[in-house]
Amino acid sequence: MSTLLDIQDLRLSFKGLRGITDVLHGISLSIAAGERVALVGESGSGKSVIARIVLGLLQETRSARVSGKVGFDGAEINTMRPRDRAKLRGTEMSMIFQDPTSSLNPTFTIGNQFAEVMRRRDPKLSRAACDARAIEMLTEVSIPNPDRILENYPFQLSGGMNQRVMIAMALVNHPKLLLADEPGTALDVSVQAQTLRLMHDLVEKHGTAVLFISHNLGVVREFADRVYVIYRGNIVEEGPTASVFHNPGHAYTRALMDAVPRITGAGLPEVPEVSDAFLAPMVRHDRGAA
Amino acid sequence: MSLLTVDNLSKSFSVAGGMVHAVRDISFAVERGECLAVVGESGSGKTTLANMLLGILSPTSGSIRFDGTELPAKRRASHRRAIQFVQQNPLSSLNAKRSIGASVRLGLDTYQIGERAQRWAKVEDALEEVGLPREMRHRAPSALSGGQRQRVGIARALACDPELVVLDEPTSALDVLVQARVLRLLNDLRTRKKLTYIFITHDLAVVRNVADRVAVFKSGQLVELGETAQIFTAPKHPYTRSLIGAVPVVDDAELDLRNRLAKGT
Amino acid sequence: MTRALRIIASNPLSLVGLILVLMIVLAATFAPWIAPFPTHNSAVIDFAFANSAPSSRNWMGTDLVGRDIFSRILYAFRISLVLGVVVLIIATPIGTIVGLLAGYLGGWTEAVLMRIVDVFLSIPPLVLAIAVLGVLEPTLTNAMIAVTVMWWPWYARLVYSIARSEREEGYVLAAEVIGASTTHITLREILPNCLPAIITKMTLDMGFVIIIASSLSFLGLGVQPPTPDLGSMVAEGARYLPDSWWMTVFPGLAILLAVFGFNLLGDGLREVLGAEE
Repeated sequence: MSTLLDIQDLRLSFKGLRGITDVLHGISLSIAAGERVALVGESGSGKSVIARIVLGLLQETRSARVSGKVGFDGAEINTMRPRDRAKLRGTEMSMIFQDPTSSLNPTFTIGNQFAEVMRRRDPKLSRAACDARAIEMLTEVSIPNPDRILENYPFQLSGGMNQRVMIAMALVNHPKLLLADEPGTALDVSVQAQTLRLMHDLVEKHGTAVLFISHNLGVVREFADRVYVIYRGNIVEEGPTASVFHNPGHAYTRALMDAVPRITGAGLPEVPEVSDAFLAPMVRHDRGAA
Repeated sequence: MSLLTVDNLSKSFSVAGGMVHAVRDISFAVERGECLAVVGESGSGKTTLANMLLGILSPTSGSIRFDGTELPAKRRASHRRAIQFVQQNPLSSLNAKRSIGASVRLGLDTYQIGERAQRWAKVEDALEEVGLPREMRHRAPSALSGGQRQRVGIARALACDPELVVLDEPTSALDVLVQARVLRLLNDLRTRKKLTYIFITHDLAVVRNVADRVAVFKSGQLVELGETAQIFTAPKHPYTRSLIGAVPVVDDAELDLRNRLAKGT
Repeated sequence: MTRALRIIASNPLSLVGLILVLMIVLAATFAPWIAPFPTHNSAVIDFAFANSAPSSRNWMGTDLVGRDIFSRILYAFRISLVLGVVVLIIATPIGTIVGLLAGYLGGWTEAVLMRIVDVFLSIPPLVLAIAVLGVLEPTLTNAMIAVTVMWWPWYARLVYSIARSEREEGYVLAAEVIGASTTHITLREILPNCLPAIITKMTLDMGFVIIIASSLSFLGLGVQPPTPDLGSMVAEGARYLPDSWWMTVFPGLAILLAVFGFNLLGDGLREVLGAEE
């Protein structure tokens, strides 16, 4: 398998009124073509900024300092010209956000928004061709009456529907990499479960690689092939999903696992306060050692 | 006698194009000292129910009896002290422009609890009780983490010395480790202060570990009510089974149980 | 406080505003000591120097009866500032209370209070003030009353819009469930969240009140001679344009600088106070 995303020693700091804050302390993370990789961590761990660096958005923020290597499909995102980075977004890589309804534009119909996305890849595409392709994609995400949905505005659809539209739109240009930041967290649990299953099947079918960013261990377990655990800007554990979940090696990962309430009713765990063990070196699992 | 009895409670709202029946003809009772989980998805009516219990909304029909007396639609302050509230969002539930001590003190001033001169000491006691340092009362909410803010929210509710606490998704906005600590704190406080909880949540894994009984709501109706152990070994209603089937799980034992319960065998 | 100063200082325009406002306040406060001719704030006549162009004796020239324009501008700043402060000190609390009650209570209270506010807002401010002064005698006190009458509704509307969105916040709900009184919720919970916007608007409004007051006295409806006022000085000098340009230009510049200074400072404050949230 060839490496699609290759992040090496990525560092990020922000310059603010109170001086410099370090957010990422040398992250290395790679995703092979077609691989589903999860990045798990708590709020403030730095997991969400990684997606914004891969998209090349933070490099253009004045207060942010990014260093290290972010290789994508043979190119280097960090040193790319802003215009070239912009060309990649929505074509070679796309993104799904936490709240589907607010990330779609309320003033345009779904059909309009599909056409806009598709014309990023091929500006000469006719509207009829766009609509035909959009209907095809909406059918793939099991939306009934896709031709009617194209005429609708996002606020006319339920949260679950909008999430499916987002997934269809994110995949319509056949991106090589999909970045999903806490997808479906704003939705009901049963809707979230359905859409994640749908997304899983779809990226498998299209061979799309996914960087799945989440705080929810259960969701990660069901979605990802491989897991990175991030704590305070450092990767603390990496390995195949089954291996990490059966055999968490790092103290922080173990604390996270213990803290999740179980439906089998094991009671409420005693959770350690932040301990030095959380800062222990990274634990790496062998591939295929599940 | 039950601490809280809800009889044939309904609430409808008129909206453009008709009526929305948010809560339909619900009856249940909450015993002293128990934790009743109210479970449902968005639109299930669980928030409307909470707002009626708290006296923020008045019921369209039906009655709410607390400690033997029926609560009037327009509630006076004297009716309010015994039923308190912890909100989901720890960020907006505290006033950014006031110290957290001032927020916690509000209940003490409103109900004239303790001598005026001793109230700051009582505020500090309340903070200590939820695991926060006493001197934190001078801080602004912006200086606190999400978990600390939620502890302040709990301290503010408990400062009124309530009997029933309505917890509206109290840990949904928190990180996993912080959630575990806050849940333990809530459990400890319930035993220590002999409190009764109505725990509103969508997270069934949390419910399994904190609740004595579970009430499942769907589209404003109570579809299943039972002991927690019973709900998680033999759920009766298909909707309850589908809710359990959607829970994200982390270990194999859970996965087995979930798949077994979802299938209904 | 040091942080606030640092933010203001980091923006050159708001620093200019702060310096201008400080200079005007100092000039007004110490007018009797700074002014070269402190007696020229009254009906003094000095025909020997009447209508003379700016010189080393009279930096901004003199008016028709020989009074030093620079000295009179310093005294006029006093009147303008006092007028601005008095108007805002009366108008702001009235508007704030109306806005808080309408925004928090909603329902009938909101409907009645805000319609009254709308009525005031629909009348052009200068027209309303002229009407008031047409009925009352044109004096400094009445000018203040007139300006106050047309000023409070703007605060009512500002505070109303903030209070209405704050009403939905969790901390208001928490106070209601605890059983806190309306007085507590409006004054202790919601008001502190309105203060940054109110203070910013007050700073900006100092400039506008000075303009309106000057306009009134320009029309002969405000401060009466011989008390020096920027508006009436411009009006008086306008008759002798362009030959005796200094009679108009310097008081006009003074109005401009005052308004400009308060506006820049207000914009700077908005940033400082907004950043604290």
